[in-house]
Amino acid sequence: MIKRKILLVDDEIVFTKNMAKLLEEREYRVSAVNSGDAAIKALEADDFDVVVLDLKMPGMDGITTLREIKKLGLFTETLILTGHGSIDTALEAIKIGAYDYLTKPCEIDELVEKLEDAQIQKDSGEQKDMADKIQRVVESPSAAFELFEKKKKK
Amino acid sequence: MMHKADKKNEAPETTDQASHIRSYRRLFRNFTLLTVICSLIPLLLVGWGINAHFADFARERMIKAFEDRIDSHRRTIELFLKERSDKLRLIAYTHTKGYLSDPENLKYVYAMFNSKSPEIRDLGVIDAEGDHLAYAGPYDLLDKNYSQAKWFAEVMDKDLYISDMFMGFRKKPHFIMAVARSENGSHWILRATIDTDYFRSLVENVKIGQTGEVYLVNKNGVYQTEPRGAPDIMDHAAFQVESAQNGVGVHIYKGGGQKSGFSDEIVGTAWLEKPRWLLVVKQDYAEAFADVNHANNASMLFLLISALTILVVTVLIARLMIRMIKKRDIQAEYLNKQLMQTGKMASIGELSAGVAHEINNPIAIIQTERQILLDYYNKQKPMDSDAFRAQLLDSMDQIDIQAQRCKRITQNLLRFSRRTRSIIESVDLNRFIGEVIELMEREARTSGIKFIPELENGMPPIESDPSQLQQVFLNLITNAIDAHEEKSYGSIRITSSADHSRQGVYIRIADTGAGISEENLEKIFDPFFTTKAVGKGTGLGLSICYSIVKQLGGDISVSSRVGEGTEFTLFLPFEMPEAVTKGEGSPGENQTPMKKAI
Repeated sequence: MIKRKILLVDDEIVFTKNMAKLLEEREYRVSAVNSGDAAIKALEADDFDVVVLDLKMPGMDGITTLREIKKLGLFTETLILTGHGSIDTALEAIKIGAYDYLTKPCEIDELVEKLEDAQIQKDSGEQKDMADKIQRVVESPSAAFELFEKKKKK
Repeated sequence: MMHKADKKNEAPETTDQASHIRSYRRLFRNFTLLTVICSLIPLLLVGWGINAHFADFARERMIKAFEDRIDSHRRTIELFLKERSDKLRLIAYTHTKGYLSDPENLKYVYAMFNSKSPEIRDLGVIDAEGDHLAYAGPYDLLDKNYSQAKWFAEVMDKDLYISDMFMGFRKKPHFIMAVARSENGSHWILRATIDTDYFRSLVENVKIGQTGEVYLVNKNGVYQTEPRGAPDIMDHAAFQVESAQNGVGVHIYKGGGQKSGFSDEIVGTAWLEKPRWLLVVKQDYAEAFADVNHANNASMLFLLISALTILVVTVLIARLMIRMIKKRDIQAEYLNKQLMQTGKMASIGELSAGVAHEINNPIAIIQTERQILLDYYNKQKPMDSDAFRAQLLDSMDQIDIQAQRCKRITQNLLRFSRRTRSIIESVDLNRFIGEVIELMEREARTSGIKFIPELENGMPPIESDPSQLQQVFLNLITNAIDAHEEKSYGSIRITSSADHSRQGVYIRIADTGAGISEENLEKIFDPFFTTKAVGKGTGLGLSICYSIVKQLGGDISVSSRVGEGTEFTLFLPFEMPEAVTKGEGSPGENQTPMKKAI
């Protein structure tokens, strides 16, 4: 089975370390970064299935980071995991395009469940995109060439 | 929790009320005094003026009336005497001595004389030698010789003679009228005695009140009629007749008049033409001026009633006014309390959001440590492996670290919430600022903001209210952090320095945030003024800071440059002003800038 790739973004180093350990125990591949900037860099460098994002961070905060992630135009889904008890901020995050939110502290099982849901969402998004592409290639074979060119550039 | 806090504040509030009551009393006193002075002084001046004018006028009228009365009475007496003397003269000149010497004829004339009223007592004809030729009257005087009588010499000298009162042969006070006539070279006299009773009744029976009396005095000061009261007719009057002026004179004698012979009386005098008698009319002053005095008293009573009415109305109005002011004050105080409460709740809300985040992080870490250990257990990995042991120790350490972190946060929070009661105590400002920074540090750090404390060493502690100060610092620092919203990093510089010349401490909180435009800077301390989005800020924070700092006897000012940052400068005195510590009780609960506007 292919291991899902998770990106953890939180300024609490101990927390990300522990969380990585727990998720790895549950058959995930985990990268942990401690700021928004680092998260964007990691996403640009590698493919991830789900990003787990804290909202309150020094430097670039969670909302800004989320906006930047969305700008990248990836299929990667984002889960908000924050200690900040404000529902307003979480709702704002969902409006911007986060998949869901969880508040700290949360049970690992709960997080895994949300990660699975986010995974399904991501997969269906990819499948739909793939179907679109196939449709386009079927309709005009030159599109296949375009797609190929695009992928090569990337 | 709130109720408890309220109850604790009761004690200072009672001293607060006492000072309020004192100030209300002062207001009441001042208002009453001012109104009474402003209304009573003009009233009394006008009243006094009118009264004096009226009294003067009434006195003049009174005296004039008295004069008129004397004059008319003098005329009456003169007319009476003139009429008698003219009659006597007519008889003397129209009848011969021979005719009148006949007793029958004389009796007839005497009877005719008295036909209407008993005008003369007797009538006699006397020859040049002073012997009675004939006599008509009740006395037996026919054999009397008058050659030695004083009047006889005078009448022989003058054409008509009217005597003063004298006793004569009959030994009764009387006066005579005599006409001398020369007939064929021989002189004879027609003499009539005026009926004393009739004359006296004419003179004396003038009704002048209860105390008024009228009498005549001759030029030697001998009573010619009998005054009511002590002296008898023919006695010497006690007063100086010579001093009486010609014509009619009215004098008012007040007090014991030893010299004048009158006391507390109004006295009018007039000389008769012939005989030279002085008509005296006098009346007790009190009675003569009873009407004037009555009017005076009435106006005084009116004045008194008016003054009393003004007094009562003033007091009532002042009371009403004070009651209204009190009511307004209570309403204002109530609103202020609510405002303060709202501000407090808002800052507690803001703080608790921060604290929740703070506390959730360590808890989340503790939870993950537990989960890691639990994973070992669930997966049935060997529990005696080195890896597990290392993990267990690591987890335990981490749990301890995170628990300590939680403890520190809750302690800070407790310290904050415990300071809800207003107590004036000695505050080490530098330590205090350190605590506040600690409370806010994480919040600041997540926004990329560094605190740069520059605290003067060895600063003396100040007398202040730590709970209120805390609110001020939290508000100012929260604002400073919020000012960096558009920036990813910044700093908040907190400077403290003692100023011994001003007996206080300066604290400057300077941020590197967005700054405040000049037009907003003016309104920054106004209640409900905010530039934050709706629902984000109450607009109360700085207005509360302002009122608290003023309460604590200090000062707060602000300077700012758009894009560069804002600096708040606080001044706090070493010692609280007395009014704050004694009179005002718990200032935070019931004092705001609004109060000062009242």
